[in-house]
Amino acid sequence: MNDLIHSLIFGIAQGSIYALIALSFVVIFRATGVLNFAQPALMILGAFATSVFAIDLGLNYFIALVLAMIVIALLSMGIERVAIRPMVGQSTFSAALITVGLFIALYVISTRLFDSKPRTVNDPWGVSALCLGGNLKEEWGFVSCEGGLIIYWHSIGKIVLATIVIAALFIWLARSKYGLAMRATSMDQETALAQGINVGGMFSTSWAISGAIVALAGGLFAANGSVIQSTDALFALVALPALVLGGLDSLKGAVIGGLAIGILMNLTKTYQTAIAPWLGLNFENVVPYIVMIIVLLIRPYGLFGTKEVQRV
Amino acid sequence: MKMRRKSRIALALAAASALALAGCTTVDTKPTIGVGVTEEACPDAVNPENGCIYLGVLSDLTEGPFAALAVPITDAQRAFWKRVNEEGGIGGFDIDIDKYTRDTKYVATEHAAAYKDIENHILAIVQSLGTVNTEGVLPDMISNNIVAVPASWWSGYSFKANDGGIILETGYSYCAEAMTGLDWFSENHYKPSVIAAVGYPGDYGGDSAAGVQKWADINDAQTLVVPTGPNQVVGDQSKVIATILQASPRPDAVVIAAGPAETAQIVGGLAANGFQGRFLGSLPTWNPALLGTAAAPALQGLYNHMSPYEGWDGTSKALDAIRDSLNGETPANHGYVIGWALNYPLKAALEAAAAKGTIDRETIVSVIDGLTVDFEGMIPAHTYGPEGKAAVAQEVNISAVDASVELGLKTIAKFYKGTTFDKSDYSAACVASQ
Repeated sequence: MNDLIHSLIFGIAQGSIYALIALSFVVIFRATGVLNFAQPALMILGAFATSVFAIDLGLNYFIALVLAMIVIALLSMGIERVAIRPMVGQSTFSAALITVGLFIALYVISTRLFDSKPRTVNDPWGVSALCLGGNLKEEWGFVSCEGGLIIYWHSIGKIVLATIVIAALFIWLARSKYGLAMRATSMDQETALAQGINVGGMFSTSWAISGAIVALAGGLFAANGSVIQSTDALFALVALPALVLGGLDSLKGAVIGGLAIGILMNLTKTYQTAIAPWLGLNFENVVPYIVMIIVLLIRPYGLFGTKEVQRV
Repeated sequence: MKMRRKSRIALALAAASALALAGCTTVDTKPTIGVGVTEEACPDAVNPENGCIYLGVLSDLTEGPFAALAVPITDAQRAFWKRVNEEGGIGGFDIDIDKYTRDTKYVATEHAAAYKDIENHILAIVQSLGTVNTEGVLPDMISNNIVAVPASWWSGYSFKANDGGIILETGYSYCAEAMTGLDWFSENHYKPSVIAAVGYPGDYGGDSAAGVQKWADINDAQTLVVPTGPNQVVGDQSKVIATILQASPRPDAVVIAAGPAETAQIVGGLAANGFQGRFLGSLPTWNPALLGTAAAPALQGLYNHMSPYEGWDGTSKALDAIRDSLNGETPANHGYVIGWALNYPLKAALEAAAAKGTIDRETIVSVIDGLTVDFEGMIPAHTYGPEGKAAVAQEVNISAVDASVELGLKTIAKFYKGTTFDKSDYSAACVASQ
């Protein structure tokens, strides 16, 4: 039972990060119709920016996280203005290809700037943990929980912070004037323009929000008790199955898809070697993509995505 | 007057003869050159009057998994050859490694394509990163007499059947490292009875695990091979931790041949779960950034690092030169020390070829057999040419984690040489291919 609860909590924590990354994809997709493949690179840059503020400048982790979100939001806005805005009117496929190029460029930059020395982020949690119903033991700075349920503080931190940010975003989108304008723009750009909405400004805002969210995901991802390297950007690719599962244009779907993938991966990690050892080690990494293939085959618009209707 | 005129003529003839002789002498002492060597000076030459020897670099310089190590390796190589050029070059030639440096992203196909791109312009390759990548172009290098320095430590390089005698490896192989490291471990900690060999199969983990197996066979121990991959591939190392904790009999020592982040997770995760054994880490397992992780106390208490080269706290002439080249800066990691060490064999081969009067590919290959290389103390002098055990430098430097030392590693055993390697069967590569 402890294994199950531990897997669920760890899965929700990991899924919270996937949810944030998937959300960052959806925010841009809804506003501009572009699937921004540069998000993984922005995520790792967010993690590195958090590290620079927290380690090199000695700032508190949470302040560093906020500053990193601002920096990546500005970077994201800059990318939209320079590389994506000129593509308005062109096919979204072309714009998506540009984001592939951006991913490679940003990834190489992050490697050259930071990767010869893997980074830490000085988060307040480390590997400290709660031990419920067992004996807490500490060895070499690590804690273990004999006969009980261990819950790492970084898991709780990730869940709480992600929940606050996601809830704030949803409320802002639902109730604020800007949120309404963004939703209007995502529904019909021409009509929004006719209603006096600054559509270009909405594009910039959506890219900025997306950048901030993915930077938060990077900063939380890096709070793992170990180091981060630029190759960790590949972690963000797991958000794609989450995105497909939830639906490409659904904010709610991104959150649910991310959480579902995180939980599924952790349950697989816990139980697969006992139930189906013949599947080999690390099968949990394959699971999201199996889910993605199944969803694409039977419900290509995902659980909450808009079903595309084509006139024939 | 007549006499004076005759004297002048004689003097003029003597002067002309002397000039001609001097000219002939100059031509005779300048070595004959081949592909990859030009009479024209190198771009931005230190010695504009010298010709230029072009050496290739095939490395992971941007987005591949080993860029963190490969960039300082390449930086050190640049600094090394700059120093050689500042000392006058070799045989009237400066050495350029920049023009034919290519980023191969640690992808075998990219490596092969980059090799083809530079093949007809270089004399030799001063860095070919990765065993698998190097193996991919090895047949072509052998047929073209292109000598190469690998930034990899595969046991197969000790055998002409594998490398055609054109590979100038430095230090030990991962296989020898594991055997000698475990000898030191037994003498200084305890004799392990079950050893877990954790590493990347198909890469350096395979050679290391084979060394662990050989040591166990000779020393009546058991082995548990635990294959894993980088975190970017496998997610995290929890499967390794679970496998070791659930194994029966449970290992009492772990030899790791993985990356630094993976090492921190494995050491920390096992220590947290009551694992009572200790850890030996292969050359690429350490990065000073690990001192900032939660695993730092466990690494300080339970982990030792192995290297064929002197550590950053070394006292050799080579380490002094390395520190000079950095003008007081500390490198990001030990890649810089590795990169510096890689150059000595090729420098010696170039000098030997120049002394023979010909700097071309065939002459470079011909001087390798019996070539004794002085590494200025950062590893013991080594003679190239013999096969098998005689080809292997088996001395290991053992370090412990110490936050008070720059780069975080304090050498506690210098050039340790065990006994198991000599007892082992080293008549072929420990693993046939990586």
